[in-house]
Amino acid sequence: MSKKALDYGAKKKPDYARRLSHRFSRRALLVGAGQAGLFGLLGWRLHQLQILDSSDYRLLSDDNRMTMQLVAPSRGAIYDRFGTLIAEDKENLRVLVLPAFCESLPRTLDALSTVVPISEATRDRVMRAARRQSGYYPVLVAEALTWRQFALLNVLAPQIPGMRTDRSAYRHYNHARAMAHVVGYVGMAGKAEVNEDPVMRLPGFRAGRTGVEKSFDQDLRGSPGSTKYEVDVRGRVVRELGSRPSTKGRDVVLTIDHHLQTVALDRIKDQRVASIVVMDVVTGGILVMASTPTFNPNDIAFNPDLSQWKELAKNRDHPLHNRAVRGQYPPGSTFKVVTALAGLSAGVIDQKEQMRCPGLYAVGRARFRCWRSHGGGIDVHRALKESCDVYFYEAAKRMGIDHLAKVARELGLGRTYDCGLAGQKPGLIPDKAWKRSSRFEAWYPGETVIAGIGQGFVLSTPLQLAVMTARVATGRAVLPKMVLSGKDEAEPWPLLNLDPAHLEIVRNGMIAVVNEKGGTAGRSKLKLPDVQMAGKTGTSQVISSSRRHLLPGWDGETHALFVAFAPAHAPRYAAACVVEHGGGGSRAAAPVVRDVMTELLQRDPAGRRPFVANNAVAAAPSALAAVENTQ
Amino acid sequence: MKTLFADSTEPRLKLRQKLLLLNWPFLLLVVSIALVGAAALYSVAGGALDPWASRHVFRFCVGLALLFAVAFSDIRWWLRSAYPLYVVALLLMVLVPLIGIESGGARRWLGYGEFSFQPSEMMKVVLVLALARYYQWLPPERVWRPDALLPPLLMIGVPTLLALAQPDLGTAALFAVIGGGILFLAGVSWVYFIAAIVGVVVALPYAWEALHDYQRERVLTFVDPERDPLGAGYHILQSKIAIGSGGLSGKGYMQGTQAQLNFLPEKHTDFIFTMFAEEMGFVGALGLLALYLLVLMFITYMALRCRSVFARLMAVGMGLCLFAYVFINVAMVTGLVPVVGIPLPLVSYGGTSMLTMIVGLGFVLNAHVNRKVTFRPEETGALW
Repeated sequence: MSKKALDYGAKKKPDYARRLSHRFSRRALLVGAGQAGLFGLLGWRLHQLQILDSSDYRLLSDDNRMTMQLVAPSRGAIYDRFGTLIAEDKENLRVLVLPAFCESLPRTLDALSTVVPISEATRDRVMRAARRQSGYYPVLVAEALTWRQFALLNVLAPQIPGMRTDRSAYRHYNHARAMAHVVGYVGMAGKAEVNEDPVMRLPGFRAGRTGVEKSFDQDLRGSPGSTKYEVDVRGRVVRELGSRPSTKGRDVVLTIDHHLQTVALDRIKDQRVASIVVMDVVTGGILVMASTPTFNPNDIAFNPDLSQWKELAKNRDHPLHNRAVRGQYPPGSTFKVVTALAGLSAGVIDQKEQMRCPGLYAVGRARFRCWRSHGGGIDVHRALKESCDVYFYEAAKRMGIDHLAKVARELGLGRTYDCGLAGQKPGLIPDKAWKRSSRFEAWYPGETVIAGIGQGFVLSTPLQLAVMTARVATGRAVLPKMVLSGKDEAEPWPLLNLDPAHLEIVRNGMIAVVNEKGGTAGRSKLKLPDVQMAGKTGTSQVISSSRRHLLPGWDGETHALFVAFAPAHAPRYAAACVVEHGGGGSRAAAPVVRDVMTELLQRDPAGRRPFVANNAVAAAPSALAAVENTQ
Repeated sequence: MKTLFADSTEPRLKLRQKLLLLNWPFLLLVVSIALVGAAALYSVAGGALDPWASRHVFRFCVGLALLFAVAFSDIRWWLRSAYPLYVVALLLMVLVPLIGIESGGARRWLGYGEFSFQPSEMMKVVLVLALARYYQWLPPERVWRPDALLPPLLMIGVPTLLALAQPDLGTAALFAVIGGGILFLAGVSWVYFIAAIVGVVVALPYAWEALHDYQRERVLTFVDPERDPLGAGYHILQSKIAIGSGGLSGKGYMQGTQAQLNFLPEKHTDFIFTMFAEEMGFVGALGLLALYLLVLMFITYMALRCRSVFARLMAVGMGLCLFAYVFINVAMVTGLVPVVGIPLPLVSYGGTSMLTMIVGLGFVLNAHVNRKVTFRPEETGALW
């Protein structure tokens, strides 16, 4: 009984173990459910990251791993006709900083300045650039380092955080001063050019600004390559995802003979402003195109010194201008060649007609002077030889301005040539229509008369005068060329719409100018055996003699001009020289042409095989990689 | 089956019987998770068995042998040795700050030459055993009493503090989660837990003061990863980019760019889930999580079938450990919690954590095998 009671009592006592067991089961299920719930939270999070925001993260991921670098092409070289290297890409050792990797940019610059001098201006520029753009864009600190500096910087690299050295290219010009105007120079691309071609955005990329560098820019530039890299977290390249090599720009071979160019420049460099053009009358190739004052393009294309640049740009004599294509002068008596041909072709004069020169010519009430009283018996030959103004006043008056202009244009005046020279000026061949449309005035007979001797409205450039001479010498529509095509003899130029007999008359007159007694350029006869030069002097007024006192000194002086071709009876070379405010053509310009022509005939560049650039293998990838676009 | 042991306290089971009692589907799940890990490590190495995948498989095989050894061992032996093992682990943890190897600003390792060993890993398993042992001993009617709570709190508190001192925030958190979870499952009143939560909230500002700079930094950058995208927030940001860029179906096996290109830190250890999610996408990541969840459900199911408190708590304790590992790791790489350096069990490369986890699972299976076993009071012995 008692035992039963005990049992009963025991039963009354709560069964803790059982209760605890149930509690465990409940709580274990609760914990299990909690675990499942928290896993659900993870699933929700993954859903958020991988489904909802996936596209954003995918973009970030792609940014992480890929970086595109444009590979700038190296610019084609420029050679002269015999293969002398004129312009080339040279290695440019540079130092840059990546501001994001600098502990302190000023300190990095301080460290750099122990090796490379850093001016306050440069320091400002770097700091500004670092503030303005992403810290992962490299900022150029200095270029054109010497090997010593470059090596030193590379040794110090671990101690200078954020510094980077690289090798890029810069443009170097050999024979810089002589070739400056022809070859031109390169510079930073303008905004319009950048929009047109993205490769221009590459830091340090330069485009042709003037001369052949500009007109053949597309050829020289080549095409950029690109390399897609996969990079790791530190921007180190893991592998190339693919690349398109850049194509080196085509090499360009000029028609210029650098030796003659130097000789010509030497000959005119004592003049304040002068220019000379020599061309091959058969091919049209320009052998010499020298202009003084000149400049050194190396000062401008690379690391330009601002004060030097300002001085060049402000100089009253405009050294940056290529006078041979940009200088527009009244052709003066050299234009008489045109007037003679025009008169002959119009039939208003002939070989036999003789005129009398009293030293004065009257049109209405106006009086036009001849430079000398030539007396009687002036036929076209003598008129050319002695440069009689009155004869050509009369001839011009007889044929009228429109015919004169027509023949002048036939001879290549009053236009620019598509020969690869940027910045040409067209000159001016006036006619009635021109005057009506631009001056809103009728044409006066007196203007025809002075146009007959290349004064008045008539303007031409030395290059145009050379072309005119070449056309007279050959009777063909010669056009100038700056660049050798690499092909052999092209087709001969088409014949001019002029009577060869008339041309012969004019040529004989020009031969007489130099070689006959009484010729205006008799003193400039070639001192070579068996070779004669034919030419025509010109002295053009910049102001009428009556007003000469208003423009005293150099500025009022006449321009000295001379055009010539040689050999006289089998023309091969034509030349034109203008000495600005140089005085008389026979005194200032003709001797220059004589000396250059002498050198030219002895050297005979047309008879020698020109250099052919090896553009076939020019497709090699360039080493000039741009630091761009990282991250 | 019932006749095999009935209600007998005669627990001597033959190995053949034990093999039959083993939860084979559970084991299959574990093996498949480890194989996923091997595949992931193969991919991380850029499609090579070396240096990680092959050693991972080798270690798993060694671990599997250990798992069987633990699973088929006598549960009574573990009951008896739970406390001594705990004391040994505690001593080793105390030794760490004295003679430990320093690496990465923290002393966590004990080692000599090639062999190194992390006592805190051992503690994770042993803590579970010790707590289970305690509640096996504790008469059920005393569970609710505050004085009965003191010993287990000390058991949890001392290693937690030692881990914090190393400093190892992740492991400390793990100890707290496991310990707290076991106390909860052992039947400790809700009141204490609410009190503890209130206490933690109050103590938080002081804890903040005590944190190391780098730990604070981690918490701060966790709150705003963009704070320092190349510094401390970098890991989280890159990890999120990798996971997010995986999308629904992933970039394809071995095609993950983030991991392959070293944008991911510790991609073969703590951030392996990131890489897996990047390559396998949402589908693959959920699949892996489902595998883990399945394992956890199995563990709960097995624990519920156990008769003895020791076996139950041992099983759920190991389950909690696994859960804490997986949850903290995945939450960390997805930017839900700060980066604390917890590997993904069975998948991450790393010897010690792999052994810990697999031995833990061995104990789960041990509990399952011995599910019908009950202990006589004299077997439980005194508190010590």
